[in-house]
Amino acid sequence: MRRTLERIYMALILIFMYLPIAVMIVLSFNSSKSRTVWGGFTFQWYISLFKDATILNALANTLLIALISTLAATFIGTLTCVAMYRMRRPGRAFFTGVSNIPMINADIVTGISLMLLFRALHFDQGFATVLLAHITFNIPYVLLNVWPKMKSLSPSTYEAALDLGASPFLAFRKAVLPELAPSIVAGALMAFTMSIDDFIITYFTKGAGFDTLSTMIYAQVKRGVHPQIYALSTLLFAAVVTVLILSGRVRKRSGAPGKKADYQKRRVKNRILACTAAAAAGAIVVLGLLYGGVFSDAGNKVYVYNAGDYIDPSVITQFEEETGIEVVYDEFDSNELMYAKLAQDDSAYDVICPSDYMISRLIQEDLIQPLDFDAMPDATQYIGSQYYKSAQAFDPGNRYAVPYCWGTVGILYNTKMVDEPVTSWDILWDPKYSGQILMQDSIRDCLMVALKKDGFSANSTDEAQVAQAAQDLIDQRPLVQAYVIDQARDKMIGNEAAMAVIYSGEAIYCARENPDLAYVVPDEGSNVWIDAWCVTKDAKNAQNAQTWINFMCRPDIALKNFEYITYSTPNIAAQEIIEDEQIRNSPIAFPDQSVLDRCETFVYLGEKADRMYSNYWKKIKSGS
Amino acid sequence: MEKSRKAIVLQSSPYLVWSILFIIVPLFMVLYYGLTDAEGNFTLANIAAIAQPEQAKAFGLALALALAATAICFLLAYPLAMILARGRAGERGLVTTLFLLPMWMNFLLRTFAWMTILEDGGVLNGILTSLGLPAAHIINTSGAIIIGMVYNFLPFMILPLYNALASIDENVINAARDLGATAAQTFFRVILPLSVPGILSGITMVFIPSLTTFAISTLLGGSKILLIGNIIEQEFTLSYDWNLGSGLSLVLMVFVIINIVISGITDRKEEAHR
Repeated sequence: MRRTLERIYMALILIFMYLPIAVMIVLSFNSSKSRTVWGGFTFQWYISLFKDATILNALANTLLIALISTLAATFIGTLTCVAMYRMRRPGRAFFTGVSNIPMINADIVTGISLMLLFRALHFDQGFATVLLAHITFNIPYVLLNVWPKMKSLSPSTYEAALDLGASPFLAFRKAVLPELAPSIVAGALMAFTMSIDDFIITYFTKGAGFDTLSTMIYAQVKRGVHPQIYALSTLLFAAVVTVLILSGRVRKRSGAPGKKADYQKRRVKNRILACTAAAAAGAIVVLGLLYGGVFSDAGNKVYVYNAGDYIDPSVITQFEEETGIEVVYDEFDSNELMYAKLAQDDSAYDVICPSDYMISRLIQEDLIQPLDFDAMPDATQYIGSQYYKSAQAFDPGNRYAVPYCWGTVGILYNTKMVDEPVTSWDILWDPKYSGQILMQDSIRDCLMVALKKDGFSANSTDEAQVAQAAQDLIDQRPLVQAYVIDQARDKMIGNEAAMAVIYSGEAIYCARENPDLAYVVPDEGSNVWIDAWCVTKDAKNAQNAQTWINFMCRPDIALKNFEYITYSTPNIAAQEIIEDEQIRNSPIAFPDQSVLDRCETFVYLGEKADRMYSNYWKKIKSGS
Repeated sequence: MEKSRKAIVLQSSPYLVWSILFIIVPLFMVLYYGLTDAEGNFTLANIAAIAQPEQAKAFGLALALALAATAICFLLAYPLAMILARGRAGERGLVTTLFLLPMWMNFLLRTFAWMTILEDGGVLNGILTSLGLPAAHIINTSGAIIIGMVYNFLPFMILPLYNALASIDENVINAARDLGATAAQTFFRVILPLSVPGILSGITMVFIPSLTTFAISTLLGGSKILLIGNIIEQEFTLSYDWNLGSGLSLVLMVFVIINIVISGITDRKEEAHR
């Protein structure tokens, strides 16, 4: 009776541990891209996985960092244990204490402290910094496993070996190492696992254009995970399980009584084995560091920093093939995040794609440089003059920015779940839709909704008005299902929410996937925005950056992007060659002048107002 | 003697240098940023900021959720560790692997999978409704975050408890029984006290990461629930206020220091017993 109860209890906990993994594995075979809909069985994600250069690159980074950091940590850690064995108490206490710090300390503090160090030393953050960080938090796991064993060893075998004339190294290798080996392996295994699984420390120590699987997944989770990731994780998991089962078999067999040992032969074999292992380890380290670009200098590259999911990936490859310039492509979630990165290190990226208000801020703060339009004929020829005219609002004289996408902000709603006509922002405060409302997780957009609802300007700097809008948003919080960025798309398509504040480009995509969805720009007015390409002030590859911008303005490329991301293009030539008539004349993509007349463009409000917005935003998000 | 001194120095210097450069110096940098303002003048404002309503609320919530998660982990893990500790010695490796194995599926993906499970139209509600039970709204609540914490950090509670319980000498327990202790007395007066080091390290390994997480609350809280980790992360990535972010990190360090002190005391006690 008792045994069955115990068995059931263990089984329940194991189900709890493995349920999410089962979900992932099931999703990796789901032909629908949505998490919530089962679209039938497929292998397509496994096939497309091996064509996805970004994922494979992140995988390589993850494995190399884990391997090299484990090797380094195991070596340093074991060496330290050997030294500690012969140390007096204070020495030992120092090492156990100091190695405790990264283990007990919050990951976020460890990550931040290392980031501050690398910044202060002007280290280029990337492969090397992440590797250093991983070695730092891996050594303690080796000590944790090896030191207790080392401590328990009796010194007499080692001394006996010395007395018999062995050199200290030989004595160590023959008398101590075999005893330690299982703990060293356990420590290395633990370090490797921790390195693979780490997210927070990597997140803070990684630089531009560098991703491990963890950081790539974190970026994707915010805007919808690509199913290839499920496939990859399933494969990795299956590989680990296979290795474990095989090694278990081997151990069982080697544990069985075998032939009589032939010491002479075994010694030769051992020596060969040790040499190959050392050579392999060395090769991994050297090749890995080479691959990680630790020794390489900047070649013919361009560093692009764009909003998430804001380009057709095939355009990047096409650009590389046609120009021979290597693209280092990175994505941001919001203009504010992009600004923070740029303010830290303006030269990290060459070409960026911020929104209107952020561009005026970047101009004011001298973080971007004037463009040479003669070098970009397509930018002048194909981008409609009316868009350059609107861009004057944030870029007087059109010196800094080339429009890339534009659109409105409105309400996307599910006509099956909302019966009344949607004409006003007020519906977002209707208790009837409690838990069915998605808001944008972005300062300006979220406050814009409340400001407009109250009849104020979206660019208000009047503290009383902003305070009132903020209070409205705090009152609204209980009704809101979540504050999201790109997740709104998946949730609306999957009927997880009745309405969402969303950009017009997303609305086109959603309405295409789920015909029950409709989009409206409320009567009180809204925001019309333009995102445009700019070149950073300290760009290392300014020439290549302009080549990139010009390429983006080519009609066929602009059309490709429009069809992929469904955000309205300011490229007149591209607009004309849109094949789908419905989209070409879509009021969502290309709204009437009357809609645009009631919309405002965001402008930069100045540092003081910015801080005020930030403070209210924190209050709104924490609900106090 | 002289030679072996040299060897010790040679062997210990790599980690000595490494730990000073990558552990101690960085912590002093956090301390420096936390105690200065943007102009580099000394201030305590960044630490006092924890008392402001936004920060205090996020901190209080993080404390409450972390405590709840730690308590749940402990209650789930202790019986499990006892069951496992009584198992055969050969099972030890199997246990460790079984609970470390999920870590090979990325931490964020596992948490993300919980989103699919807990959503209103998700796996759990699918099961509930098919059983004729009312659907539960869990996603984007504190409950969802606690589930995420328990899930991610449970192995860190199980392993130290298991190690502590497995190392208790069977004879000690038998002796207690022979001397007439009831099962409850044996547990509370022998087993539980002997497993205190494991309990303490388990609590640390669960409580600290729960208190400071920002990824779990972002994923399972729908960005509606802000924990202190989210605030610190935002200070570094969004508001670009390193001083405030460092100041708040220093507040978190207080818990770490408390922890080191407590484990230091128990370590010494343990050594004194020997």
